[in-house]
Amino acid sequence: MEQQTIDTLVGVLDKRMNRQLKLYMDICARCAICKDACHQYVATQDMKYLPARRAELIREIYRKYFTKTGQFMPALYEARDPDENLLDELYDSTYACTGCRRCTYYCPFSIDTGWITATAKGILIAAGRGNEILGELADAALFKGDNMEMFGEIIASGFADIEAELREETGRDIPIPVDKQGADILYVALAGSHSIKPAAIIFEAAGANWTLSMFEAANYGFFYGDPEKSRLIAKRYMDEALRLGVKEVVITECGHAYRVAEMFYEAWAKEKMPFKVRHILEVIDEYIKDGSITVDPGAIGEKVTYHDPCQIGRNGGIYEQPRDIVKAVAGDFVDMTPNREKQWCCGGGGGIVAMEEFDAVRLKSGAKKVEQIRATGATVLACPCENCRLQIAELNEVHDLGLRIVPVMELVAEAMASAARV
Amino acid sequence: MDWFSYLASGVGVYVSIAVFTLGMAWRIYEWSRTPRSTVRLALYPKPKTGLGRFGKLLKDTLLAPQSVAIATGVMLAAFAFHFAALAAFVGHLRLVHEFTPLVALLGEDGMNAFAGLSGGIAGIVMLVAVLYWIVRRTYGAYRKLSTPEDYLLLALLLGIVVMGDHLRFVGELHASTYQVWFASLMAFKPAFPPELAASSTRLALNWHMLFVDAFLIYFPFSKMTHAVGAFATNLVRSSE
Repeated sequence: MEQQTIDTLVGVLDKRMNRQLKLYMDICARCAICKDACHQYVATQDMKYLPARRAELIREIYRKYFTKTGQFMPALYEARDPDENLLDELYDSTYACTGCRRCTYYCPFSIDTGWITATAKGILIAAGRGNEILGELADAALFKGDNMEMFGEIIASGFADIEAELREETGRDIPIPVDKQGADILYVALAGSHSIKPAAIIFEAAGANWTLSMFEAANYGFFYGDPEKSRLIAKRYMDEALRLGVKEVVITECGHAYRVAEMFYEAWAKEKMPFKVRHILEVIDEYIKDGSITVDPGAIGEKVTYHDPCQIGRNGGIYEQPRDIVKAVAGDFVDMTPNREKQWCCGGGGGIVAMEEFDAVRLKSGAKKVEQIRATGATVLACPCENCRLQIAELNEVHDLGLRIVPVMELVAEAMASAARV
Repeated sequence: MDWFSYLASGVGVYVSIAVFTLGMAWRIYEWSRTPRSTVRLALYPKPKTGLGRFGKLLKDTLLAPQSVAIATGVMLAAFAFHFAALAAFVGHLRLVHEFTPLVALLGEDGMNAFAGLSGGIAGIVMLVAVLYWIVRRTYGAYRKLSTPEDYLLLALLLGIVVMGDHLRFVGELHASTYQVWFASLMAFKPAFPPELAASSTRLALNWHMLFVDAFLIYFPFSKMTHAVGAFATNLVRSSE
């Protein structure tokens, strides 16, 4: 590898260096306790998926360029220049990582391998080795944001179609307000009607003053590993929220989108937003508890379990509201073991469902989730994350689990319809 | 003092303590001057108050309940080693100043017997733990993950513990002899008392000290910085 390229890659590491990352580089004892925490390593026993090994690749570069001891005695510290072999392994281990941070939870030093792999993605991008499909999806989202005069009408027409579908399904006019100045809530959904229809039913019943974002919540810039693209993608709906003067931005059932909006955006934008960010399930839980919406408590007759998406649970702190909602609409709820912060990652996060080259490891790494689901005996899985649903749907098919996999708000919409019939 | 004694048990002690202290101070300074991440990196659930976060920091760092739950064997070995090392360190303070209340309670022979028993247990526990780590690191996935640095540290620890155990179990000298040597160190006039200088135990002590010196010198430039850094990283998991 040419020195100029090496300098560029080292420059990325330098630019992203902060206190936490430096500590993560310096103190790992390579005890490998993380091996039993990672769903990918547990399922494959492949060294490259061992969290400490994923991080070690970056440490090898760090030691060579950021420590005097690594420069003085590279053999002792296994300090080295980045080369094609290193980048090959880095690509596989980094883009396969779902960023669930279960390894961080179990690490005695809380070393955040997810944060290190985010840095690794930056290095790969600088080396021209970023994942192509994720990069293209990120660019497409940015292109849409930059060319709304081209897409605006098409999107609005799509929303009108969803209104028509709702009319047909419910027999009522349920509006989907867009670009509503002075709305209290800007709801940021996913592409497709499945995240819009139940939310519209719920907001309408609760009498909420809401409006739908013209932009989707999904953020492929985040998965790609480019914080600037990620910021610009989120900025599309953040600017919309500022322009409309809303009081809160409500993110749909999408794990990483919630984390980007709530945990990362203000740090990236270097400014405090004048509105709060909430997850849709926090809002729905509030509606049920304060009586804004009425649900039939026994509407869902089957045994229901709940999957904690890593980005909402362990990395987002939302554990109880979704459970309270599910318990409010289902008579037979059973939790998985382990659950909440100890929940196994389903294997579908981090954009891996969009990258065909990782299909084999992705499906294999769902083994723990399959075990967990089977043990519950549930026939319905409530799951508030699109990537998790896609992954578990495939696991459902491959392992013949006989599950109905639904967003939590869809169960709520069913229970509201059931309550209306009673 | 012959030249080897002077190197290992004399000037080496000063050099190693100086390098250790300045090195760790430099490492902490380096960490502290690096800007913090502006992104929120906490794990949930997390305490809501500062006191709660402090309590969790101590729990996570000193007891690591999550790690114990997932890797009980490794963590028990780690706890046993760290506790035994702490006990051994406290025992070594006797060389600086005799634990007078304990001597008053147990008598000099009783104190020596107590120190022999507790020091012996600590030495055996540390030896078993270090051997376990060497075996664990030499086989399976850990071998591929391990670097020469890991083996160097384990070799130094093994040297310290084996020679320390030799002094404990084979050496014929008691604390009072070592106290004289330690007093000379503290007076910056390192010298062995005649009893120690004439004893073959001197050689074991020198090797013990050589390993200790090397370990302390290497400490700030190794992963051993986790002894301090773990407090900072464990705080991040419950940060704002």
